[in-house]
Amino acid sequence: MSLYVPILVLAALSAVFAVFSIVMGSLAGPKRWNRAKLSAYECGIQPTPQPLGGGRFPIKYYLTAMLFIVFDIEIIFLYPWAVAFDRLGMFGLVEMVLFIVTVLVAFAYVWRRGGLEWD
Amino acid sequence: MSHLTTLAATTAAGPGAASITQNLVFWVLAVISVTAGVGMVLARRAVHCALMLAIVMLSLAVLYALAGAPFLAFVQVIVYTGAVLMLFLFVLMLVGVSSADSIVETIKGQRLAAGVVGTGMLILLALGIGHGAIGGARPLTSRNGSGNVSGIADLIFTKYVFPFEVTSALLITAALGAMVLAHRERTTPKPTQRQLSRQRIAGSHPTPLPGPGTYAQHNSVDMPAMLPDGTPSELSVSPVITRRGLSSQEAGGPPPGQVEAPGKQEARP
Amino acid sequence: MSATIAAGVITPPSIEYSQLCPMLLVFGLAVAGVLVEAFVPRQARRGIHLVLTLGGLAAAFVLTIVVASSKSLFRDHAAGHVAAMGAVAVDRPTLFIQGTILVLAFVSVLLIAESSHDVSSFAAQAAAIPGSAEEREGLLAGITHTEVYPLTMFAVGGMLLFPAANDLLTMFVALEVLSLPLYLLCGLARRRRLLSQEAAMKYFLLGAFSSAFFLFGIALLYGFAGSVRLSAIAAAASSDTGSTTLLLAGLALVGLGLLFKIGAVPFHGWKPDVYQGAPTPVTALMASCTVVSAFGALLRVFYVAFGQLTWDWRPAMWTIAILTMVAGALIAITQTDVKRLLAYSSIAHAGFILTGVIAATAAGLSASLFYLAAYGFTTIGAFAVVTLVRDPAGEAAHLSQWAGLGKRSPLVAGVFAFFLLAFAGIPLTSGFTGKFAVFQAAVAGGAVPLVIVGVLSSAIAAFFYVRVIVLMFFSDPAPDAPSVVTPSVFTSAAVVLGVVATVVLGVVPQPLLGLASHAASQLFVR
Repeated sequence: MSLYVPILVLAALSAVFAVFSIVMGSLAGPKRWNRAKLSAYECGIQPTPQPLGGGRFPIKYYLTAMLFIVFDIEIIFLYPWAVAFDRLGMFGLVEMVLFIVTVLVAFAYVWRRGGLEWD
Repeated sequence: MSHLTTLAATTAAGPGAASITQNLVFWVLAVISVTAGVGMVLARRAVHCALMLAIVMLSLAVLYALAGAPFLAFVQVIVYTGAVLMLFLFVLMLVGVSSADSIVETIKGQRLAAGVVGTGMLILLALGIGHGAIGGARPLTSRNGSGNVSGIADLIFTKYVFPFEVTSALLITAALGAMVLAHRERTTPKPTQRQLSRQRIAGSHPTPLPGPGTYAQHNSVDMPAMLPDGTPSELSVSPVITRRGLSSQEAGGPPPGQVEAPGKQEARP
Repeated sequence: MSATIAAGVITPPSIEYSQLCPMLLVFGLAVAGVLVEAFVPRQARRGIHLVLTLGGLAAAFVLTIVVASSKSLFRDHAAGHVAAMGAVAVDRPTLFIQGTILVLAFVSVLLIAESSHDVSSFAAQAAAIPGSAEEREGLLAGITHTEVYPLTMFAVGGMLLFPAANDLLTMFVALEVLSLPLYLLCGLARRRRLLSQEAAMKYFLLGAFSSAFFLFGIALLYGFAGSVRLSAIAAAASSDTGSTTLLLAGLALVGLGLLFKIGAVPFHGWKPDVYQGAPTPVTALMASCTVVSAFGALLRVFYVAFGQLTWDWRPAMWTIAILTMVAGALIAITQTDVKRLLAYSSIAHAGFILTGVIAATAAGLSASLFYLAAYGFTTIGAFAVVTLVRDPAGEAAHLSQWAGLGKRSPLVAGVFAFFLLAFAGIPLTSGFTGKFAVFQAAVAGGAVPLVIVGVLSSAIAAFFYVRVIVLMFFSDPAPDAPSVVTPSVFTSAAVVLGVVATVVLGVVPQPLLGLASHAASQLFVR
């Protein structure tokens, strides 16, 4: 369990901080409600509604997220290899290099076809 | 090794006996994750649905850690919650967060039939697996002899090396598919800066275009600027963005359809 | 995670490269295809891809024959060898199935390579919204997605691994490797793109669900047996330790995943929509190779892992086989689209092959193998003919447009009629030999009611096949009827191969029947 204690402590601390901020804010602040104060305030600027006809979200975000997943999974496979690197010897290196090279081919394809360019 | 000895000590009570913390954490997380799962199915807004999914994923990660698979717990957080859920949210933004599916049934009675069959399947599986007499849920310390990650490395690089290498084919297919479906290639070469500036000088507006209108209460890029005679300028808003109206003809007046600013407005001429 | 490093070096695994070389070649050439996509300019891509893909599939077929005829593999009357540390099984039925898949994939790639009618069957810009200016630009520029070639090779690689997988984990990975490229390929049609994208979406969603059920079944079987290897599951099942409920639930869910892939009846909903919406060459690939591969996996799982449990799974399989044969035949009667008609007929044929699976004997296995090979050629030929009947809007798939085709293009209509008769199981076609073999094996295995239902549904199926033939030859064409385009060498080769295989396997089936029964003689390696 000692592995997880720091994580649990961090989670508890962040929860306490979040709850404390909100509770103290509501307790310590003055309560003078009027309609103007309850409306959304953006430095006097009216909050921008959704653009007419729905906003168009660039599809490049999807491609970026998808490629991130592919390479994230490759990284995940690198963790056990790195931990057991000493014991794996030459064959482990060959296997992992083969894996990385194969995903590198995908990377080369995406790069050459302009998938990594933003515009 | 200390955590393993702690776990071993807790399991030394006998096979099938999990410690009190394990039981407590399991039951709390079980209730939370099932509630979040049901909430995910029933949520009205798509983003709430994604957040419920995040809660389910995180509780699963803790359950994996509880079952003695710390590597899988971290992978669940890093890959699933960190990458896949982000992808879900991006796709929700692409499709439109406020878009709703048509809930008109095209096949009569489909919802009822689906509900009945789904509930039946749930009961069947729950009874079957519950009756399946799964033994006490304790971490498999026997398999974690030299550490969970080392054990996984042992398996991946000896016994399951072939499916591991074939998984790289799967990753290539994913990248290829994402590019094919989401990346539009240019059919004409991209205009260089030189060509663009030539077009601009030779065109009708060599000077920089006017920026969007900045008013007392509106300053977003879809507010048109006003020309000296009060008419809105067509050039000040990008054609990609649908222009918001400036019908009140005065800075500070709300555009049509917009909520009246609280506080009294003077009547404008 | 422990900070101490365990003592000892991990011994490297032994990979029998020589036995795995067909699969490794296909995967390697698929990766080479991606490199071609990355680095070769657009004009040269198709040529290089054709060389790599067709040459690779042919070479892999030759290698499969070499492996199958190797003496060392089958010495001492061994059924085969379990390679790659227990992940891949190399035995005669698997080699037969892999050879069949490679030949059928070769013929399907001939269809995919067709470029004379319409630049190609695949979209110019799959990322362009249908009906937008960018799509128009792409169509006018005459470009097409050549990524279909590496995607097809990946799918074929997965199809080769799926029946050869000796443990359920490898089988699941192979299922995903074969399915993901097919989901993509289904969405890449050049014409009627919305229908194609809908087909891809449906295939993806239903396929993802069925893979999830498959995985759930694997987890339950692992919980039962403590291992994912098929032989270990069989050993645990026969030694009767552990909970039977886990075993049966795992069997049901794994069977569900596999039956989805072949399109058996409660799990057939995707087939008509996907076959109709996908580009026709991809439909040909799916109808032939995916069905062969999925049946190979189904046979392996049910013969090796659950071979002792026939009392448990036979009743359910009987029901599914009867439902599949009857529903496939009956619903096909109401279809008005030629591709949907062929999809429902494919469902009915899956039911017929299931009767061979249920026999659970070597005779059943060999009959299923023969039927799969024969059916694959016929179905690719039929879909090749479908690509030839075109009007200005693309393929003319509605049956009313096929009226009178026999009067305008007797050769093409005659060939299609021949394929339909082969589907119906008329003697002197491969369909008859296949059905006869399968039904004979089923009777020998004690499933006489199944055979009766099979014969009845064949009769029903024959009704709608003959109805299409009558429509083609004995009715008048409409004034704006579609015409038959002249095929280039690719589609002609595919059609000719289909006709030749159907005739040869109908008139002189003995060589292939003998090969199939030799392949099935020792069943699967454990």
